[in-house]
Amino acid sequence: MSTTVILFSILAIAAIATGVSVIINKNPVASAMSLILHFFALAGLYLTLNAQFLAAIQILVYAGAIMVLVVFVVMLLNLGKESALTERFNPRTGIAVSMGVLLIAQLAIAFFGQPTGYNQLSDKAALNGTAESIGTVLFTEYLFPFEAISLLLLVAIVGSILLAKKQQKESV
Amino acid sequence: MIDSYIPLIIMVSVGFLFGLSNIVLAQFLGPRKNKTKVKLEPYECGIEPTTSARERFSIKFYMTAMLFILFDIEIVFMYPWAIQFKELGMVGFIAMNLFMILLFAGFIYVIKKGALQWR
Amino acid sequence: MLQTIPLEFYLILSAIMFMLGVIGVIVRRNAIVIFMSIEMMLNAVNLTLVSFSQFMGDSAGQIFVFFVMAVAAAEAAVGLAIVLALFRKKQTVYVDEVNVLKW
Repeated sequence: MSTTVILFSILAIAAIATGVSVIINKNPVASAMSLILHFFALAGLYLTLNAQFLAAIQILVYAGAIMVLVVFVVMLLNLGKESALTERFNPRTGIAVSMGVLLIAQLAIAFFGQPTGYNQLSDKAALNGTAESIGTVLFTEYLFPFEAISLLLLVAIVGSILLAKKQQKESV
Repeated sequence: MIDSYIPLIIMVSVGFLFGLSNIVLAQFLGPRKNKTKVKLEPYECGIEPTTSARERFSIKFYMTAMLFILFDIEIVFMYPWAIQFKELGMVGFIAMNLFMILLFAGFIYVIKKGALQWR
Repeated sequence: MLQTIPLEFYLILSAIMFMLGVIGVIVRRNAIVIFMSIEMMLNAVNLTLVSFSQFMGDSAGQIFVFFVMAVAAAEAAVGLAIVLALFRKKQTVYVDEVNVLKW
C-alpha cells in the first residue's frame, strides 16, 4: 500500500463522515464546524491529486472566508438549541436517503462495470497543479472569464450591501 | 510527489493530537470538583447571571465579514498573477488593472454607502 | 493491493458527497443548513473537475475550480444576505414557514 492509497482512504472516510454530520446535526453551529472539517478533508484530497495550489486556495477561501460568514450568520440569527430542536424529520427523509443510495449504487455499477482506464495521474499532473501553471493558463487562455469574475464580484458587493443594510426608514 | 507532504501531515497530526490530548488529559489529571449547579455558575457569589451568554451579534460584524470574503477572492486571484508577473508582461498587467478598477469601484460604493461605518 | 487510486474512486466519492448535499437540501428546513449543503454540492463537483484535470493532464479543469470558488464566494455573500433579509421580514429561517407565494 502506498502513501497515496492510505491518505485517500483516510481522507475519503473523513469527508463522508463530516458530510453526514453536516446534514444530521440539529445545531447549525455544529453543522458549520463539520463543514469546515469537510473542506479540510477535500483540501487533502486535492493534495493526493497533486493540485497543491487549489488545496491552499480551498482552505483560504472556503474554510477561511465562507465558513466565517456562515458562522457569523448563525450567531447573528441566534439559533440556539431551543429553536434548532424543533426541526422535525418526516417521511421525506427516508425517501431521499433511499433514492440517494440507489443513485450511488447505479453510478458505482456504471463506473466499475466499464472502467475509464485512467489508473494513475497524468505525467503533467505535478506540473499542472502549481501556481505558475495556473497563473499562465488563467491570464492567457482564460483572460475574459477572469475579467467577467470581477464584474460578478462587483455585482455581489452591491447586491449584498443592498440586501443586508438596514433601510433608512427603519434605522431613523 | 505525495511523499513530500509527509512533514506537513506529521505537523498537522501533531498539532491535532496536542489539542486533543490536552482536552482528554485534563479530564484525568485535573482536580475533581463536585459539579453542582452553584459551582458551575460564572460567579459563585455576587451578581447572578440573568440571560444567556449567546447574545445576538450586530449586523455590523456581518457587513465586515461579507466584504472581507469578496476582497479575499480578489487577493486569491492576485497570487498566480504575482508569481507569473514577469512572464505575463504588459497584457497581464493591463488585465489585472481592469480587474482592480472594477473592484475598486465596488470599494468606493461600499465607502459611499457607509457600510463600513461602525454605528 | 492498489498502488495508485484509479479515477473511478474519486468519481464515486464525489458522487457520494453530491448525494449528501442533495439529501441535505431536501430534508433540512433551516435555510443556513440548506446553504451549507449547496456548498457541499459545489465542492463535490470541484473534486470531479480536479480529478479529471489531473488524470488527463489538462489544467482547464483546475481553472474551472478556481472560478467556481469565486462564484461560491459571491453566492455566499448574496445568499446569506438574503437569509438575513428574510429573517428581518419573517423572523424565521425555516424555509417551510416562508410561504407568502403559496395560496
